[in-house]
Amino acid sequence: MTAFIIRRLLVSVVLLFFISVISFFIITLTPGSPYPWGELNPKVSEEVKRVFREKFHLDRPLHEQYAFIMRDLFTGDLRSIKDERPVLQKIGERLPATLVLNLGALALSLSFGLLLGIYGAKHAGRPPDVITSIIAFIFIALPGFWVSYLVAIALVDWAAVPILGTHTIGVAFTDGAQVFLDRWWHVMMPASILAIGGIAVQSRFVRASMIETLREDYIRTARAKGLDENAVFYRHALRNSIRPLITGIGMLLPALISGAVIIENIFAYPGMGRLGYEAVLERDYPTLVALNFVTAALVLLGNLVADLLYAVVDPRVRLE
Amino acid sequence: MPRVRTLIVGIPLLLTAVTAVSLWSVARMSSDKKNEMYIGSIGEPTTLNPLQAADSAAASVTGVIFNGLLKYNADLVIEGDLASGWSLRQRSTFFFASPEEAVQAAANMESQLVDRAALHLQKYTVDGDRLVLELGMPGVSDSQKLAAMFGVAPRAAKTIGITAPKPLGDALKDFAAQNPAAQIVRVWFNGNLGELVFLGDAAIVRAALEKFLSERTGQEGLVLEDIVAPPFLAEPEVIFTLREGVRWQDGAPFTSRDVKFTYNALMDDRVASPRKSDYELVLSLDAPDERTVRVVYRRPFSPALESWMMSVLPAHLLEDVAPDQWPLTFNRAPVGTGPFKFAEWKTNQFVRVVRNDDYFRGRPHLDGIVFRVLPDPLTLRLAFETRQIDFWGVDPWAVGSFRKDDRFTLFSAPSNSYNYIGWNLRKPMFQDLRVREALAHAVNVDQMIRYVLYGYGEQSTGIFTPEMWFFNPKVKPFINDPEKARALLAEAGWKPGADGILEKDGQRFAFTLITNNGNAIRSDIATLVQADLKAVGIEVTVEMYEWAVFIKNFVNKGEFDAVVLGWALGQGYDQFQIWHSSQTGPDQLNMVGYKSAEADRLLQQIREEFDRDTIIKLCGELQQLIYDDQPYLFLFVPQGTSVMWKDAFRVRRPGPDGTWIDEPVKMTKAGWSAYLEWFYRPEYAAQLEN
Repeated sequence: MTAFIIRRLLVSVVLLFFISVISFFIITLTPGSPYPWGELNPKVSEEVKRVFREKFHLDRPLHEQYAFIMRDLFTGDLRSIKDERPVLQKIGERLPATLVLNLGALALSLSFGLLLGIYGAKHAGRPPDVITSIIAFIFIALPGFWVSYLVAIALVDWAAVPILGTHTIGVAFTDGAQVFLDRWWHVMMPASILAIGGIAVQSRFVRASMIETLREDYIRTARAKGLDENAVFYRHALRNSIRPLITGIGMLLPALISGAVIIENIFAYPGMGRLGYEAVLERDYPTLVALNFVTAALVLLGNLVADLLYAVVDPRVRLE
Repeated sequence: MPRVRTLIVGIPLLLTAVTAVSLWSVARMSSDKKNEMYIGSIGEPTTLNPLQAADSAAASVTGVIFNGLLKYNADLVIEGDLASGWSLRQRSTFFFASPEEAVQAAANMESQLVDRAALHLQKYTVDGDRLVLELGMPGVSDSQKLAAMFGVAPRAAKTIGITAPKPLGDALKDFAAQNPAAQIVRVWFNGNLGELVFLGDAAIVRAALEKFLSERTGQEGLVLEDIVAPPFLAEPEVIFTLREGVRWQDGAPFTSRDVKFTYNALMDDRVASPRKSDYELVLSLDAPDERTVRVVYRRPFSPALESWMMSVLPAHLLEDVAPDQWPLTFNRAPVGTGPFKFAEWKTNQFVRVVRNDDYFRGRPHLDGIVFRVLPDPLTLRLAFETRQIDFWGVDPWAVGSFRKDDRFTLFSAPSNSYNYIGWNLRKPMFQDLRVREALAHAVNVDQMIRYVLYGYGEQSTGIFTPEMWFFNPKVKPFINDPEKARALLAEAGWKPGADGILEKDGQRFAFTLITNNGNAIRSDIATLVQADLKAVGIEVTVEMYEWAVFIKNFVNKGEFDAVVLGWALGQGYDQFQIWHSSQTGPDQLNMVGYKSAEADRLLQQIREEFDRDTIIKLCGELQQLIYDDQPYLFLFVPQGTSVMWKDAFRVRRPGPDGTWIDEPVKMTKAGWSAYLEWFYRPEYAAQLEN
């Protein structure tokens, strides 16, 4: 077990190095420059541009720029080109909002996915299963930005409720409950749209896995013993079918951190997705490299944790 | 296992239930607004340091926190802001071969002088071989008229500008000391930039200087250029008298020291201000006392006056902090002299400012302003409709429906921007003026305004837009006349070929029109132009590129046939960089390669002129000249429209004689927000003190 973890960590370090190199060079391949004042501003003199390039090492060859960025990233001095604030601070600022949003989405995906999946498995092949399957496929096919706009317009037209940002601005709240519900509302709107695809995918996984498990010999044995059908279903079959959920969590971890670019933009939600999106538009190389690096590190970590969890839930899995 | 079962059904139910309750709670929440204003913007400010910011989101926030020495009032006339007054002067120095000649010239001038006041001459002195004129108005023309009376020809002064690879230090002073033959009369340097004014032989001095500097600073990156300047030393002066009793928002008094500090910061390379070039002609800035600032310029450059609208920074807070620390401190929590104080900045959410009770014009009515960042255009609109923001810049297609609805007030004005098609004048097919005129007649701009802007715009008649005070309304726009276009093209030798496309000397009239993608207006323009030109027998291929590629690979290199672009202009009249023949190189802004000796002369003259009426006259001539030359096909000036909930605000502002004027929010020449500090919410009217 320990050997496995150490080996995986070492591989991860090598992987991270390559990821950072590739992401940096892809970003710099994009045409455009990070000048904060636009390319065609007649007032900006060559002198000012030169000073700016020097300050951010943009006058150096690419491999040196990469070295500078990595050095600063590890010493914590890496500054954004846009506003010259430390990149790690900028990421840290967005992390809580993104975590809350994605935990909300995760909770919705898992709980509703499990419910729909079990419901489908229980009625496999019969009309309730067909209906949930159709719903799942529709959910998978729906583009998130389109649903977001529809939901946003509908809520504004019919209920005239504020939906943007993390809370209602400019209103004097009367008590703590109101503050909590207001925040809850502002998180749940984007979270439920983010969760639509998750719910559908999770429910399909759970359904397939349940149906497979229900065919296992030990289930037949349990039934033959005369066990109550609910006990068979919820105790014996369910526990052995939740592996896909763990895979699901593993897959959702990167999203937890990297945020949701489109949905965060539409709902003006201050998360990591927006930070990354804006950094791309502004050619803010340091922020992009740091974001990619942090995200990649967390993805690798997430995969590792998912693998370890497998071994914990399923004794048949051995880590060598 | 009823417990597991309960959880599986219970958790989703619970989540749904809480969300339903939260919707109910949010929906019945009090809609009473605080006494604040809410403004939305797509972009987030990059920094709240007005010296370093170049984006409009930052400008709207810093605009209420800081003040400049001068400002535009609601009618776009320059008036004092932190300066209570200012005066303009100029010292013109002429050099003669001998002291006797200087005395002679002064005597001749004295004898011919009829009207001193008309030429703004206040006094003159002879100092050795120099004759110094002190004028009450900067510029070149008065001095030239006086020089015509000298009878003796003064010696011509020449100017060389220097860009060095590293800071010049005392190099130029040393050069002056070692080369008496160059007869250097003025040395200026600042960082890597320098300038010499001398009377000696231009070629010899330049060669000597180049040799000297390449030894001192290295050759690579060393650029010497002959500068177009008057043949005498013309040094304009602006003297600002600062307003009494102004305090910074932290209580410290505002003095001339702050102005001096701001200027020094602008010139400091570490600050990397995009506004630095506005101040590069400053010869010196000094503060003789706490209430006076004196700025001397290296030569007449009237647009410079506008640069003193630049916000002044507090010296006492920044002097001892290295500029590379500003982004972490001051730039995120600025202190100014303006009507509102910075309160908080939640990144990607909002910037909140609160009322400055000690504001020197009086206490603003609102408790504060919240500038929200709403990055999506549609949700910006939704935020306006749910009254989460009070104003919204309406898209042209939506203006009609808001206009009909009397719950809203609309503010419309032609923007200070125009769209155009730039013809690359380096390409032979566009060099014939008749061809460019034909193109202007062939394209139906009215239809374009109807389809692209839903009618909310007007045809552009050149380089200035109608709201500018120097705009020439007499310039007649080209009218759509395909017949005339065909005739002009035929006259220029373009005859229809076998496939209906015009030909001349075996060459088909076919070109590529490029623009950037992601801008619906520009791609619509390209499509309409393509159709209109097809009708007169010209084949247009439209290509679209991502903005950065478009600028870098095509526009900046001058590698295109024709381009759809737009200029967003400020209030300034100086368009030297866009139209002067010296600005046609790669990465420069005269990307179509327009060269006209007449335009060059006017562009230079406009810069050197300080008299409002003369500026209007010269700008009018320039606008007509360039419009006649048609280097661009000037398309249209879009109308900008903002919408406000009618019941949201009123204005109660100080009137001319100590009275208070109470009125609805109105459009002024400077926009709807000219009196922002005097906006109030009618439901809080009872709290108004005056």
